[in-house]
Amino acid sequence: MGFKLDFLLSILPRLIGAAAVNIRLAVIIMLLALALGTALTIVRSLKVAAVNACIAVVISFVRGTPLLIQIFIAYYVLPAVGLDLSPEVAGVSAIAFNSMVFVSESMRGGLATIDVGQIEASTALGLPPHAIWLRVVLPQLFRRIVPVLINEATIVVKGTALLSVITVVDVLRTAQQIASASYRPFETMIGSALVFLVINLVISLSGRVAESRFATARA
Amino acid sequence: MHFDPAVLVDYWPLLLQGAWLTLQVSVAALVMGYAAGIAVALIALMPGWLPGLVTGFYVETLRNIPFIIILFVVYYGLPFWGIRLPATLVGTAALALFASAYYAEIVRAAILALPRGQFESARAIGMSPMSAMWHVVAPQILRALVPPSTNMTLTMMKESAVLSSITVPELTYQSLVVQGNTFAPFEVFAAVASIYWLMAVVIAEISRRLERRVGAVQAEAVSRNRIADRYLSLVARRT
Repeated sequence: MGFKLDFLLSILPRLIGAAAVNIRLAVIIMLLALALGTALTIVRSLKVAAVNACIAVVISFVRGTPLLIQIFIAYYVLPAVGLDLSPEVAGVSAIAFNSMVFVSESMRGGLATIDVGQIEASTALGLPPHAIWLRVVLPQLFRRIVPVLINEATIVVKGTALLSVITVVDVLRTAQQIASASYRPFETMIGSALVFLVINLVISLSGRVAESRFATARA
Repeated sequence: MHFDPAVLVDYWPLLLQGAWLTLQVSVAALVMGYAAGIAVALIALMPGWLPGLVTGFYVETLRNIPFIIILFVVYYGLPFWGIRLPATLVGTAALALFASAYYAEIVRAAILALPRGQFESARAIGMSPMSAMWHVVAPQILRALVPPSTNMTLTMMKESAVLSSITVPELTYQSLVVQGNTFAPFEVFAAVASIYWLMAVVIAEISRRLERRVGAVQAEAVSRNRIADRYLSLVARRT
């Protein structure tokens, strides 16, 4: 049984069609993770001891357990406590929650690199806290963590492949359906590997372009 | 609903067996993956454009494809070439392959971060080649190597959960078995998540000790200024 390149080519359109699902979910997850991660960072900056202690436990949990287990928790456990979510929504929530923690952690690192004088100046000018966040800190922070966010985006895209395990019909699940109908699992899996490779290389490359743009904007 | 850990009473041995296999698979993949990673890094640093191109292709391919797909490619690819192995072995090999790409980058970066002329300077003040390597070069490389390596090992241990999808009876697979038998998802996944969490905390603690030993301790960002810390620090200032 030799490698059938024409078979691989013939299934590529179906896999690319399924990739739209992964891309759509990854975009939603990244937007959620960015918004929630920013909110979490601002809450942590208030430095309420009890709240930060709870957040620290949540962060340790998210970083210490596999994403797949977090997805299973959203898929199996949330319905048991009365939250009946569709597989897609459960999966998106799990990955977004996971990604939110990583975004907030990279923001923590980014904050340390912002010039102290910026805050002193804004405080001296009497800017209210929300203006300091929105106009001074966050714009600089986002620029600084662009490389991390690009990396996180590729991690999120890879994470969406795990949603096939909870019956989301994405690239991998489509590939499994094709494989079981055609008895050609190897070519099919190579095809889906190629699809992910292309998506993530495009993200990395456009990220590099965006980085140099931001670098010139800063100069 | 209420939380009733008693439903797990008959299933603890199964979960612990799974956790033990997760540990074994992770350690085996760490050893194999690191060996392969060092080899790839050394090839990447050879002169000429070809070695860099080949290893770059290797690293970028493995890093941009989800591990679950790499796993299936290996799982279906080996029989395709006539090689039939037990799932656990295939899973471990795939995990090692996946991790090797990341370890290769870590090793390469650690070697490149070494300031030039360290070895030559040590020789110039009269150290033997062996002791120059041992006392000057090795400690510096180790210092750059340990933090990202332990971090990656933790990621890999978590990634091993994916092996459940090719029926490797590790912790996640056993949790799905127990979940199928008990229909108590809350208790099962709370238990399994706790076991993973415990393993992660232990690995993190080992890595902290290792980092202190090789002198790679990174100081937490010191608070710089009371006003700026209101926005730029997430840690309460100690007064």
